[in-house]
Amino acid sequence: MTVVKKQKHKLIDDYRKFKQIDGSHPFKKILPNGFIDYPARIRRGGKVSYFNFELAKKMGLISKNADHTLTKELTEEIYNTFSIQIINEFDQMKGRKFKAEDMKEGTYMATRYLQMQHDDKKGLNSGDGRSVWLGHLKHQGQAWDISACGTGATRLSPATSKYNKFFETGDPSIAYGCGYGELDEGIATAIMSEIFHNNNIKTEQTLCIIEFKNNISINIRVHENLLRPSHFFLYLKQDDYKSLKNITDFYIQRQVEAQLWDTKLTGKKKYNYFLDKLTETFAQISADFEDQYIFCWLDWDGDNILMDGGIIDYGSIRQFGLFHHEYRYDDDDRFSTNILEQKSKAKYMLQTFVQAIDFIKTKEKKQLNHFANDKYLENFEVRFEQRKNENLLKKMGFSSKKSAQYLKRYAEDITQFRKTFNYFEKAKVKTGMVRVPDGKTCDAVFNMRSFLREYPQVILAERIKLSDEDLIEMIQSVFAEAEDIEINNYRRQKLNDLQDQYIEIVEKMSSLFQEDFDETLMKLIKRSHVVNKPNRITGDAVTYIVELIKEHSGRMSPEEIYNLIQDLVVNQNTNPDIKLSSKVIKPNAVLQKMFNVIRMHREGL
Amino acid sequence: MKIALMGGGDFVDNTSIDKKVLALLENKKNPLFTYIPSSFYQSDIEFNELIEHYEELGLKRFIKFELDASYGIAFKKAIFKSDIIHLGGGNTFYFLKNLRRNNFIHELKNWVHAGGILTGLSAGAILLTKNINTASFPEFDCDENEENLKNLKAMGLVPFEFFPHYRNSKRYDRELLNYSKTVKHPLYASSDGAGIVISDDEISFIGRTACFFKGTKNFINK
Repeated sequence: MTVVKKQKHKLIDDYRKFKQIDGSHPFKKILPNGFIDYPARIRRGGKVSYFNFELAKKMGLISKNADHTLTKELTEEIYNTFSIQIINEFDQMKGRKFKAEDMKEGTYMATRYLQMQHDDKKGLNSGDGRSVWLGHLKHQGQAWDISACGTGATRLSPATSKYNKFFETGDPSIAYGCGYGELDEGIATAIMSEIFHNNNIKTEQTLCIIEFKNNISINIRVHENLLRPSHFFLYLKQDDYKSLKNITDFYIQRQVEAQLWDTKLTGKKKYNYFLDKLTETFAQISADFEDQYIFCWLDWDGDNILMDGGIIDYGSIRQFGLFHHEYRYDDDDRFSTNILEQKSKAKYMLQTFVQAIDFIKTKEKKQLNHFANDKYLENFEVRFEQRKNENLLKKMGFSSKKSAQYLKRYAEDITQFRKTFNYFEKAKVKTGMVRVPDGKTCDAVFNMRSFLREYPQVILAERIKLSDEDLIEMIQSVFAEAEDIEINNYRRQKLNDLQDQYIEIVEKMSSLFQEDFDETLMKLIKRSHVVNKPNRITGDAVTYIVELIKEHSGRMSPEEIYNLIQDLVVNQNTNPDIKLSSKVIKPNAVLQKMFNVIRMHREGL
Repeated sequence: MKIALMGGGDFVDNTSIDKKVLALLENKKNPLFTYIPSSFYQSDIEFNELIEHYEELGLKRFIKFELDASYGIAFKKAIFKSDIIHLGGGNTFYFLKNLRRNNFIHELKNWVHAGGILTGLSAGAILLTKNINTASFPEFDCDENEENLKNLKAMGLVPFEFFPHYRNSKRYDRELLNYSKTVKHPLYASSDGAGIVISDDEISFIGRTACFFKGTKNFINK
């Protein structure tokens, strides 16, 4: 028995799972026309600059008890598995030869999906332009898709589509489309995705970063399932019934196999279940993104989100410090949606799925507007409203259990409180729209997280309502000028409502759970200071933190960079249900600098 | 004046000191306790650990006030309604800078003189003394002065200096003895879980504390 155990342990430490990442993926059999398959070679000259040890353990790549150390063997395994470059059409046309020992045995797919920046709008030549899927793994019942960004220019890139020619990987004449990934983007993604993941926001995660000269990198992303709505939409646009049905069936099957969905339904009922799940997912993420101030450019092509609502492609992803709902990202030829428009885009994606499922069921493709009043869209609205109420109670600091009980009885109270809360949250400065480095915005006047964090503490101490002036002063943001915080009669009423409604909710909750008022308030305080931490990382802060890491990376090992990011993740935890223990160590100089950056940009974009 | 200086350690390590401090409340009903961390680093984790600890000792109302966050005037006013304010551990230079920036040195002193109970752990304890010189040594375990603070004057509530996390070893003693030769007042060094509680007419030493004075060392408690 002991011998068997030892052997098993040895096999895991031999990095057996790495060998399974060889380009194979069940998608290839299901949708033979859904990808371009590329041979590949090991790309030399780079170094492993980040490796996510805990994620690697979950995936079974390293053993559960492995030290967080990049041994020579592990580094080689990582490098040989992930540092690849495809041999693309340009290489093949030029007849380029590569060393036999560098050639990978498997082939790697660049998947096709719809992308609005491609002119045909049907996904004929769009998809993974600088990424390939490395494979998939299963470990302890959990499935993982693995892809690599920055592995070379594919024929699905916007550049090839636009100029109708194949490009050499790294061609300096084109920026977006040269096939390389950027180190800044890789580090920023690693940071934000880890923070989001820790805070229960679905997202791709970064497994590792291979760094090359000139800010170039290969960034390895993983998730349970890397399919996006856009992978489905192209077949709908192309009226390709068979592929649409195949990818839908494939997706459902994988969700069930991974025990993420629990259904034994077959036939048409299976597709209803699929739509129910998507309704829940898209309503939930729309509400969550708004309430957590996450800017995620959702659009009709379904390119910037995964099927389960997970965030993918962090290029324009931001977490705002305040509800900067006028911010739009400037993507050269157009501006993005703003945070409030994300909901309608999510709903539009759901409507497109309703159209797709109807097509699958009836074999007849109807116009999209035929489904404008479908029951799934009505359900979306209902679920969105419910989720917004749940989120507000959560932000106040109530547990899920308490929130659920409260909403069963007094949902209308929360809807009313939300209106008052939103009045302040959405207030904009009178100076109007301004340009920012990557877009345009109009700054928010109030910091409502300050209210949720400070107000219960003040009530606990003072036991009296605040004056209008004190309340305004508590919640004003750094952007507010005197004219923005003037108190007219309407605002006076709103300030009064804000306090009255807040206190009424706390009173009712304490009565509901047979606690005294202070006890309920104290429980709120314990949670709300975590949920509404004052120094929350923003997109602006991440930009500067990436610069800091790059500046110090020469003096830091990949293990140190990993630990640094993990410290940051713990610091940015907004989940009060996670019990963390304080460490006795003091933050090192780099971490302290990061905290200073976060503090400086805490109310920014 | 009611103050306590704690040498360090986890909250539970300081239970004896806490009991002594809570006795100073003289059975006040439902006292209010404010925690001021040195920085926002880990402060939410520490706050919840602090609540858990002091709830066991009978307290029920707690506030956390972060100096390196933005806050409203009403919130600042509220903390001075507290019965106890506790200054946490961390980087003493950073802490002092933020106390000064927020004009807290003066206000905390006034509050203490008006009867408030002020406690400090490690960096928080050093801040109650004349200056924060002791945060600069020993070289192998000192705070980094990333803030480049030149003026190290602190609250000056007591006529001595304080050294936390003291270990009875030659390399600590060497530095402390040398320093004590350069100043005219005593330097008390407390181990983790040890400390000093001062009320209007009484000074109590709890746990292992040594006094370094003019090049000599004497244990108050071993």
